[in-house]
Amino acid sequence: MAASTRPIILAILSRGEDYGYSIIQKVKDISRGHLKWTDGMLYPVLQRMEMDDLITSKWKLSGESRPRRYYTITEKGRKELASELVSWRNVWQALIRLAKPIPAEN
Amino acid sequence: MMFDLEKEIRKWKKSLQKHEVFENGLVADIELHLRDAYNAQRQTELTEEDAFRQAVEQVGTAESIAAEYKKNRLVMLNRRSPLRPGRFMPALVWNYIKTALRTIRRHKGYSLINVSGLAIGLTVCMLIVLWVLDEWSFDRFNTNASQIYRVYRNESATQKNSSSTLTPPPMAAALKSDFPEIIKATRFGYWHRQLVTYEDKSFNEPGFRYADPDFFDMFSFPLIKGNPETVLSNPYSVILTEKTAAKYFGEEDPIGKTLTVNNSFNVTVTGVIHNESLNSSLEFDLLSPFVIILKEFIGEDNADNWAFNSFRTYVMLEQSASAENLNQKLTGYLKKYTEEDTDELVLQPLTDIHLFSNLGHDLGNRGDIKYVWIFSALAVFVLLIACVNFMNLTTARSANRAKEVGLRKVVGAGRPQLIRQFFGESILMTLFALVIAFFLLEFLLPLFNTISGKQLASAWQNNPTFLIGFIGLALVTGILSGIYPALFLSSFQPIRTLKGTVSSSGANPLFRKVLVIFQFTLSVFLIIGTLIISRQLSFIRNIDLGFNREHIIHLSIHGELHEKYNAIRERFLQNPDVLHVTASMTLPTNIQGSPGTPMWEGRPPDTKMEIKADFVDYDYIETFEIPLIEGRSFSREYSTDPETAFIVNEEAVRRMGLEKPVVGKRFGFWNIDGQIIGVMKDAHFQILHQKIEPLVFKMFPGWLRRMYVKLRSDDVSTTMASLNKTWDEMNLGYPFEYRFLDEDFHNLYMSEERLGKIFQSFGALAVFIACLGLFGLASFIAEQRTKEIGIRKVLGSSTARIVALLNQEFLNCIAAANLIAWPISYFAMRAWLQKFAYRTNMEIWIFLLSAALGLAVALLTVSLQTLRAARANPVDSLKHE
Repeated sequence: MAASTRPIILAILSRGEDYGYSIIQKVKDISRGHLKWTDGMLYPVLQRMEMDDLITSKWKLSGESRPRRYYTITEKGRKELASELVSWRNVWQALIRLAKPIPAEN
Repeated sequence: MMFDLEKEIRKWKKSLQKHEVFENGLVADIELHLRDAYNAQRQTELTEEDAFRQAVEQVGTAESIAAEYKKNRLVMLNRRSPLRPGRFMPALVWNYIKTALRTIRRHKGYSLINVSGLAIGLTVCMLIVLWVLDEWSFDRFNTNASQIYRVYRNESATQKNSSSTLTPPPMAAALKSDFPEIIKATRFGYWHRQLVTYEDKSFNEPGFRYADPDFFDMFSFPLIKGNPETVLSNPYSVILTEKTAAKYFGEEDPIGKTLTVNNSFNVTVTGVIHNESLNSSLEFDLLSPFVIILKEFIGEDNADNWAFNSFRTYVMLEQSASAENLNQKLTGYLKKYTEEDTDELVLQPLTDIHLFSNLGHDLGNRGDIKYVWIFSALAVFVLLIACVNFMNLTTARSANRAKEVGLRKVVGAGRPQLIRQFFGESILMTLFALVIAFFLLEFLLPLFNTISGKQLASAWQNNPTFLIGFIGLALVTGILSGIYPALFLSSFQPIRTLKGTVSSSGANPLFRKVLVIFQFTLSVFLIIGTLIISRQLSFIRNIDLGFNREHIIHLSIHGELHEKYNAIRERFLQNPDVLHVTASMTLPTNIQGSPGTPMWEGRPPDTKMEIKADFVDYDYIETFEIPLIEGRSFSREYSTDPETAFIVNEEAVRRMGLEKPVVGKRFGFWNIDGQIIGVMKDAHFQILHQKIEPLVFKMFPGWLRRMYVKLRSDDVSTTMASLNKTWDEMNLGYPFEYRFLDEDFHNLYMSEERLGKIFQSFGALAVFIACLGLFGLASFIAEQRTKEIGIRKVLGSSTARIVALLNQEFLNCIAAANLIAWPISYFAMRAWLQKFAYRTNMEIWIFLLSAALGLAVALLTVSLQTLRAARANPVDSLKHE
């Protein structure tokens, strides 16, 4: 999966607990369909993030009939998100700088 | 065909489950997702079938998802599971301590055995460590110790395996000027004992030594009074030890006071040193500049005499210099000064002198690295025996703790945690034992000092490194003794312990037997060792020396006494209780070799013979009752006897290959051409470690330094009083100081006797600790078999048969231990006895006696318990069921 997957999931969960299908939908909505994830691949990533103590999960019965596994961001996850934001910002700024036209030599 | 969603989902799930990484929970996650996706697709008016296909595609292939999960699983395997407990749980520590204390309290008997065994083991270990460190510390107090060497002569060129620490007066200065890497050099000399007088006090001083001014730059004897720069610069100065200063001057300040030596010259006290607590191979009570020896005793013309080998030489090398290089440069060095001298000079490190040196004319009071090793091994043995007790009792009683282990495991304890718990317990136990050991050490140290002749006064108290070292020792002991119980107890399976199927006899009985055998092998070895050492020592004490040393006193005839020897002799002989009076140069306890080879009739050219020699007076042979095989003793009837007569021993005759009659054959030594007038029977005039060697006696009145008085045996003390009176009447100006010759012989083997005693006491303690363990084990086994004993008794078995039955197991172990210990002891003790030229036989009865002793002690220990168990009323043991 892309390097952006984990920060995006963390960012989504930082707004409140959520479950797998809904996370995927939010990714699609926010990126206006630009980010195309194979849905099933989300679950191993979530498992891995749980192993890393970035998120925790809990089975819950929501209003509907089905139980769902809800994921919550942990304190460690928040820290991770903050540092990811810094480094993505740095990457972004670097890219912007590089993309500027090179002044012609006189 | 109708599309059946549930059936399709089941089929899809099956395809996922083919991959083993999909656990049920994971499949449920993805299934829910699939259903959500399907519902969403259905909103777009797709058919059920198409919506499902779309949803499946959206979720992705089983393979790719499985691959991701697999990666996670690999990561997981390398990590601790969140379900496993942390490495250290502070909350449990209190529980561990409580459990440990409870175990100790509930089983007071076993805990007592464990702790006391460990405490005794640790005490023995600490005493030995103190002893070993003391031996090891010799000369190391000198800050320059690593740069200081003693120069000795290797005489191998002329005499096989011969060496001497004695060197001539000019050597120190010559070495210093010939080799730039030698930055300091000093002679260290002795010239007989001296009469030293201050006002009305006079003492014969055997500890008077002489050294060059460099001495205090090389050695670090702390001067408590006087200036180290100038302390030996005045040739007639003297430095005293604190003890000597107190002897002469009491509380007065000794600096500047004058002492008279031999009523002939004065020396001024310029310094006082403190040497009480120092372990030094160089011993002295008074130290004066070496030039006094030249000026007052041997004549200044001997300052350049390279043949006057009577003094020791020490050199100090530059920090960067290598002794090996210098040793190579020293090859052939002596030839530069005396052409005929074929000896080689060798540097011996100062720190090797005490433990590693065995040279001719060596300093007294030396140690022996062999004993350091033997005692170190003993310390390890004793500690091991104590550790084995702990292991054995703990594992034997493991059944009692099996439930605890099971329960701890069920509520989540891992094996490492349990191992740590049990290690903690054994370490707690040893720390407890350590505290007791410190008290025991304090209590036993004075006794140990008496036995060992050392001053190990609580060195550990002032020295934190000792304390830390001993705590370290206790920790090592704790780990050593806890290792097996910890591994064994923690390996219990909870299901079996909680069901109660762990056998009540605890650990593998075979392993327990091996441990008991190991303990008793060591014990039997120590018993045999002790017996053989005592036998050898008493053998030496009682060996027929070949001459009579009883009722002989000896006095030093130094200084003016030497001239008055004949007068004293005449006066003493007037006493009816004096049988003989004679004199010689050295004591007959240890007659030394003399350099050079004698000449004899028919000597093949180039034949060498090492020979011991002493200068004696008339009546020497008679005084010591040395039997003559041929010829006669020195006699006043022959005027040539003092000049040309030699008496040799049988060994010398054998080596020279002389035919009978030997008497009358020409013989020469020290450039004196003479003849043999008598042959004496071989006798032991050297320490009994050495074989009897060729020996020659020659009269030489100028060199007599020891006077011997043979007393009638009736009433020695009255005779001594009357001799003392005679001495005082003669107004000799010297105190009447004498020693008994047989005491001197006794002192020769004192160090061995001391070591023997230490070995015996520690050996006994080791056996005691082993028995302590056996006692615990026997009582445990008797306890385990209470019911069996009850049933046997009800069925008619007698007490004796039950005791026999219970003892059987132990007796087999002890028998096996004997079989192992015998050959080990045989070879070890044979190696030790090799040191002695005259030694006792290792007879079979020693081994049988050790076996019997071992068995008896073990039987007694075990029977105390088994008898109690066997005599118990079966009703008590059986009524519970």
